[in-house]
Amino acid sequence: MSLTIAIPKGRLGSQAIDMLKAAGIGESIDEKSRKLVFDDEQRNLRFMLLKNSDIITYVENGVADIGISGKDMIMENSADIYELYKMNIGKCKISVAGIKGKKIFKDDTIIKVATKFPETAKKYFNSKGQKIKIIKLNGSIELAPILGLSDVIVDIVETGNTLKANGLEVFEDMYPITAMVISNKISYKFKRKEIKEIIELIRKEDEKYGENN
Amino acid sequence: MNFLNIEDEMKFFQKMYVLRKDIENFLFDEGYMNIEPSIFEGYDDFIGVNSRIDKKSTVKLLDNNSEILILTPDITTGIVNKFMPRWEMGSLLKVFYYGKTYKHNGIGIKENREMGVEIIGERNPNTDENILNTAARIIAKYSSNYLFEIGNSKFLKGIMQSCSFKKEDYENILDILYLKNRQELKEYLSKLPYREPMSTLVNIFDLEGTFEEISEELKGLYMNDLMKQGLEELKKIDNYMKNITDKITYDLSMVSELSYYDGTIFRGYIEGSNKAIIKGGRYDSFTEQYGYKIPAMGFTVELDELIKVLYKEEQR
Repeated sequence: MSLTIAIPKGRLGSQAIDMLKAAGIGESIDEKSRKLVFDDEQRNLRFMLLKNSDIITYVENGVADIGISGKDMIMENSADIYELYKMNIGKCKISVAGIKGKKIFKDDTIIKVATKFPETAKKYFNSKGQKIKIIKLNGSIELAPILGLSDVIVDIVETGNTLKANGLEVFEDMYPITAMVISNKISYKFKRKEIKEIIELIRKEDEKYGENN
Repeated sequence: MNFLNIEDEMKFFQKMYVLRKDIENFLFDEGYMNIEPSIFEGYDDFIGVNSRIDKKSTVKLLDNNSEILILTPDITTGIVNKFMPRWEMGSLLKVFYYGKTYKHNGIGIKENREMGVEIIGERNPNTDENILNTAARIIAKYSSNYLFEIGNSKFLKGIMQSCSFKKEDYENILDILYLKNRQELKEYLSKLPYREPMSTLVNIFDLEGTFEEISEELKGLYMNDLMKQGLEELKKIDNYMKNITDKITYDLSMVSELSYYDGTIFRGYIEGSNKAIIKGGRYDSFTEQYGYKIPAMGFTVELDELIKVLYKEEQR
């Protein structure tokens, strides 16, 4: 019985791959090559390198058994998957930010929110009773309030340096985010032992990382 | 490229017909009687008993008194609502049906073909085993690579009741259980006032696997009467099912979208399919809303999912 593992491309993926290698299960992955699928025939594992935002889709539909994905993507997609392990990598926050010093929240106004995460923003402001209008953007979110496209933005904030460089500040932190090991629900039933073994290996390395950072 | 031609479509319909007949004949021979379920329900009646269902996904209609109806998302609810108001003590219903359920899936209305079985009013200590046996025999007809997952809602109920959570916390905890998010569960519970059953609840994701594995994990953990009762029922099922099939796994953290289950709950999967093929369980407390608690149990077979599996096997 083989296991397919979906790993995001980019910085989070590199960290995850380092961790898999340290755990002794990722040596078949060659990040420098342009290949997207790597087979470890000895251990019966298959790794797929995918775009961060596609990991959930692959796991939810059972093309990958498990995957590593940011909690931000999981919340946004409210996917029907298992969130088996919360990692110490990919730590950041999803926050509301806007132009420094500008008062935004007034009574009974609809505020314009520019974001890559419309569902998460809707859920958050709904729980606060604030009416909003979503402006869906795919990048350079920080520009939206500066150019007058929106009142605030909802975005991932790691260090806050990008915000600062653009004259913005965090108004409110919404949710803490980390990377998570997720699994397809049906795969988990059939391959529970294998999945748990892999997670145990990842957990050991991840805890080491957690202690050192 | 041809997408869907009439010939292929007709082939599909014939295949579906054969599959349906096949299961219908099997159930008829097993002594079940056929009924035809209604396709709509009162909205309030339905939501009243199924509070965990996604309300947005229901397909609403208006009748000429401006009462809101929905196209049924769950046939069992309809059957209970149909028979319970005029139930006579001592009656026994052993029925099967073919029907469709309806849901908004974001793109449009999704019709779902189902075959179902219900036994209402049977006071027999072995009904759970018999129903599971029937379900296992149906799935085994179509694949040897199947797996049954069995749980008992009394175990979780035993924990939740004696923790007396607020409604909001209760719902949030169920959501976390649904995701099997171990760390979040621990974190969430640590913010609530401590109650003894929580010590078992934080370990609930370890209570899965074979019955022996679960018993081992349970050693030393807090248990109250309702939890013990759930476990006893599971043990009895395990003793029986052992002799029938080894394709079984148990999970005490099982949560169902339909909140009326009360006791045994189970799902049947086939490898390579991404949805449960069989879903079912005991729902005695559902009938209680009509004044008396009647033993009731049933399951559905997801025909649309099952036929996909059969097509896949054929193309191999």
